[in-house]
Amino acid sequence: MDRLRERQGQVITAAVITLLVLVLLATGEKESLVIGVITGSAYGFLALGLVLIYKSSGVFNFAQGEFGTVAVYTLYLLHFDVPYGFALLGALGVAVLMGVVVERLVVRPLFDAPRVTLLVATAGVALLSIAVQIWFGEATARPVGRALPTLDRFTVLGVQISDQRLLLLGALAILAGLLAWFFNKTNLGLAILGSSQEPTATELMGISVKRLSTIVWALAALLGGLAGVLAVPETGGFAPGVLTVAFLIPAFTAAVLGGMTSLPGAFLGGVIVGVVEAVATSAPIFEDIPGSPGTLLVFVVLLIVLVARPQGLLGKAG
Amino acid sequence: MAVETASRGPAAETGETVEGGEPSFRPSPIGWLARGIVWAAIAWLVLIFPLGREAFELQRYSEAVIFGIIGLSLNVLLGYVGQISLGHQAFVGIGAFTSAYIVTEQNLSFWVGVAAAVAVGGLQALVLGGVSLRITGLYFAMVTLAYGLVAEKNIFQIQELTGGGLGQPAPKPKGFESDFRYYYLCLVFLAIVLWVDWRMMRTKSGRALLALRENPRVASTFGVNVRLLTLFAFVVSGAFAGLGGALLAHNDTRVSPETWSFNLALIFVIMTVVGGLRSRAGVVIGSAFFALIGYLLDKFTILQDGLNAIPGAPDLSPEIARLVIGPVLLLLTLTLTPGGIGQQIRPIVRWLTGHRFDLKDRGLKEVQISDVRA
Amino acid sequence: MSVLETQSVSIRFGGVFANTDVSIKVGEWEIVGVIGPNGAGKTTAFNIVTGFYKPDRGRVLYKGRDITNLAVHERTALGMGRTFQNVGLVKGSTVRENLVSAQYLEADYSTLAGMLGSPRTFVSEAELRKRGDAVAEVMGLGEFLDRQVAGLPYGVLKRVEIATVLATDPDVLLLDEPSSGMGPEEAHDLGDTLLELRREFGLSIAMIEHHVPLVVRVCDYVYCLNFGQLLAEGLPEEVRNHPQVVTAYLGEDAEDPALQKVEEKLETLLDTD
Repeated sequence: MDRLRERQGQVITAAVITLLVLVLLATGEKESLVIGVITGSAYGFLALGLVLIYKSSGVFNFAQGEFGTVAVYTLYLLHFDVPYGFALLGALGVAVLMGVVVERLVVRPLFDAPRVTLLVATAGVALLSIAVQIWFGEATARPVGRALPTLDRFTVLGVQISDQRLLLLGALAILAGLLAWFFNKTNLGLAILGSSQEPTATELMGISVKRLSTIVWALAALLGGLAGVLAVPETGGFAPGVLTVAFLIPAFTAAVLGGMTSLPGAFLGGVIVGVVEAVATSAPIFEDIPGSPGTLLVFVVLLIVLVARPQGLLGKAG
Repeated sequence: MAVETASRGPAAETGETVEGGEPSFRPSPIGWLARGIVWAAIAWLVLIFPLGREAFELQRYSEAVIFGIIGLSLNVLLGYVGQISLGHQAFVGIGAFTSAYIVTEQNLSFWVGVAAAVAVGGLQALVLGGVSLRITGLYFAMVTLAYGLVAEKNIFQIQELTGGGLGQPAPKPKGFESDFRYYYLCLVFLAIVLWVDWRMMRTKSGRALLALRENPRVASTFGVNVRLLTLFAFVVSGAFAGLGGALLAHNDTRVSPETWSFNLALIFVIMTVVGGLRSRAGVVIGSAFFALIGYLLDKFTILQDGLNAIPGAPDLSPEIARLVIGPVLLLLTLTLTPGGIGQQIRPIVRWLTGHRFDLKDRGLKEVQISDVRA
Repeated sequence: MSVLETQSVSIRFGGVFANTDVSIKVGEWEIVGVIGPNGAGKTTAFNIVTGFYKPDRGRVLYKGRDITNLAVHERTALGMGRTFQNVGLVKGSTVRENLVSAQYLEADYSTLAGMLGSPRTFVSEAELRKRGDAVAEVMGLGEFLDRQVAGLPYGVLKRVEIATVLATDPDVLLLDEPSSGMGPEEAHDLGDTLLELRREFGLSIAMIEHHVPLVVRVCDYVYCLNFGQLLAEGLPEEVRNHPQVVTAYLGEDAEDPALQKVEEKLETLLDTD
C-alpha cells in the first residue's frame, strides 16, 4: 500500500513538473524556466540541509540560512588576500564550526524539549548571527567574487549560463544523490535515521546519539555553507543575513513541497519554487501585485501544499 | 500546623487561584503593611515618576507600555495555546496602518481608528487561522513567518495604505495631545487588556485553553471544540496586536513600512519568551525591558562603554543592541530558566497578592511551548 | 431502543485490521462489558464510538440517531462521556479545577461575557464549583479536591476521571479499563459505585474490562473481541465459559508477561493518534 502511495507521489511530481515546463514554454516564459532552475538550486541546497536536520531530529533549523551567510561573509573577508580555493575552504570550515557550536550550546541542552522550543532557539541563533554581522560590518550589500570566472559558458533558452551556475547545479545534484545514498545505504546514515525515531534503541546498540547529532549538524552546516558560497556570488553579493532574509522561506517552502522527509524532494522542490518565483517576477499577469510578487506567490504555494497535500510531493504521509 | 503549599494548577501558572481553592493563609498586619508599601512604590514608579518628563522620554515609556500589550497578545498564542507566530509584526503593523488610515484618510476619530485596528487584527487572525490552524506547530510557525514576509513585501507596499515613502501620518487623539496624557491613555489600555486576559483565563475559555494545550483529546471529551477554541484564541491575540499597532502609530505620529521587519517579529517572540510564558507580569516586564533597551543604553552610557570594551567591536547603536542582547537572553532563558522573568518573580508576585512568600514556588516545572507533531 | 449502538463498524490502519464488523449494543440503563485479550481492538471500538476515529465502514447510532460523522465534542454535548486507558485528565491542574473544566458545556455564560467579567459569570462560576465539589463527594474524593492531579495514586486518578466525566452530565459512560491499577477490594468498591451511579443518575454504561469478577458481577451483557472481531456475546457467565473465549485468553499465553507488555504497547499505540 505504501509503495502505491510512493508511486502516486512520483507520478504527481512528474505531472507537476511536466505541466510547469509546458506552461512556461507555451507562454514564452522560457527565461524564467532557466533562471528559476538556477535560483531554485540554491533553495534546494538550503532545503537539503533543512530536511537533513528535520529527518534526523524533527527540528526545523531556522539558522540554516545563517550557516550560508556566515560562510559567505568569511569568503568575502578572505578572498581578497588569500587564493580563492583556500578562502572557500576557510569559509566552509567556519560554517561547520558554527554548526558544531550551535549543536553543542543550543541543541544539546534542549534535546528533549518540544520541537517548537528548538525552532525558537534556532531563530534566536539566526537573529544573533545577523545582529553580529550588522554590528561588525555594514548593513549594505558587498559583491563577492565568483569561484569560476567564465560568465557565458553557453546560453540556454536565451539565458547566459555561467560556470558558477553550472557549478551550483552540479554540486547540488551530486550532493542530493550522495545524501540519498548515504541515508539509504550506509550504516551511519541508517543510524542517524534510527536515532531520530528510537533514540533509546540506538544507544543500546552502542551508537552514541550525541555524536550522531554533532555529525548531522556539521553536515547540515556544510550544506548551508555550500549554498552560501556557491550561490551568493551569483546573486548580488553579501549583505547581513542574506540567506535567511532572501532564501529561507523559499527553501522552507521547497522542503515542504518536496516533502520534509525526502531529500530528492528537497532538490525538486527547490527547483519548482525557483521557477515559480522567477515566473512571478517576470510574467506580465503578476505585474499589478504591489511589492514583490514572488513573495506572495511562494506564500500561496506554501499554503496550498500544507492544506491540500501536507506530505508534499514525495514525502511520507502522516 | 504546616500549611500545604498553594495549589499548583493552572492557577499556579497564571499566578492566581481558583476561588476557594487555597488553604487559608492571611498575612499579618505587618505583612499587609509591607505589601502595601511595595504596591505604593510600584504605583509611584508607573504613575508619578513619569510626571514632567520630556516628550521623547515619555514616548519611550508609552512604547514600553504598548510593547507590554503586544507581549500579552503573543502570550495568548504562544503561552496559552502553544502555537508560535513568527509574523506577529504583520498584525501589529497592519493595525498601525489601519488606524492611521482611518484617522488621516477617512477623517474619523482616533477611537474609531483604534476600534478598526482591533477589528482588523482579529479578522486577519480569523482568516489566517481559518486556513492554517489545521496545520500545527512547526508548519504553522512558518506560515506565519511567510505571512509576515508578505505583509512586508506586498501589503505594506500598497501606496494608498502606506502613504508612499514618507509613511502615513497618525496624529494623537483630541484631548490627549501631550505625550504625558497619551502615556496615561496607554496605561489604561494596558489595564483593559490585562483585565480581559485575566477574566478570559479565569473562566471557561481559559480552562479550556489550558486543557487543550496539555491534552487536546481530554479537552474534546470535556466538550471543547478544539479547532474553534484555537481559532478564538488566535483572534484574541490578533485583536490585542491590532490595538498595540494602533497605539504605536499614534505614539510615533507616523507609520512607515520599514519598521515592520522580520527582526521585529523575532523581538516580539523573544520578549514574550524571556518575559515568561503564561506570566502576565513577566511578559509585561520583559516587553517593557526590550522596548527600553535602546533608550537605557543611550541614557546610561556605562552600559555602552561596557559593551564597547569588547575588542574590535564598533559602536553599538541602540537598534543593534536590541538585536544582539535579545537572542542572547532568549537562548539563556530557553536553556537555563524556561519560565523566564515570570518564573523568577513568581514568589514576589504571589506575595504581593496576599500569599505567603515561598522562594521555592516556581509554578510548573517546565514551560512547554507546544507538544508538536509537525 | 438502544442508547448506543455500533452497526458493523470496521476500521483498518495500514495493514492492521483493528476492527472488523463490530456490532455492539448498549440498552438503556444497561451495563455492558467489552472484554478480550490485549490488542483485540476494544479501545479502537471505543475511539470509534466516541468520535476519535471515523470507521471505514459501518455506523454509530446514539438514541437512534446516526452520529458517525459527529465530532468528539459534539458527542459529549449529546451526553456521551468517556474515560481513557492512560487517564484523561489535565495533569497540571488540581482535582477541583479538572471538575470545573469538565463542566465546560454547563457554564451559563458566553465566552465574551466571561472575558468582560459580567456578573452572571461570577454567579455561574460559583455554581460550577459547587457542582464539581458535589460530584467529588459522590465519588469519595472530597479530600483530594485541592491536590494536583499529577501527584495522586493511580487508583484515585481513575476515580477522579470518572468524576470529571460525571460532571459533564452524561447519559452514557464509556469506561476504558476503570479498574486497572486497583486491588480486589478497590475493584469491588468500584463495582458498587458503578451500580450506584447507574441507579442514581440513570446512566447506561459500557466498559472495557479485564477484571473478570467485576464484569460478572456488574454487567448485564458482555461482548468479547479478539483480533478486531466479535468472538462471542451474551450473559456474563455464558461468555466467560465460552470455549473460544477461554482459548483466546489462554491461547495468548497469558502467562507470558513480556508478550503482554508488547500487546499493551500495541493497544496504547492504537489508542494514541
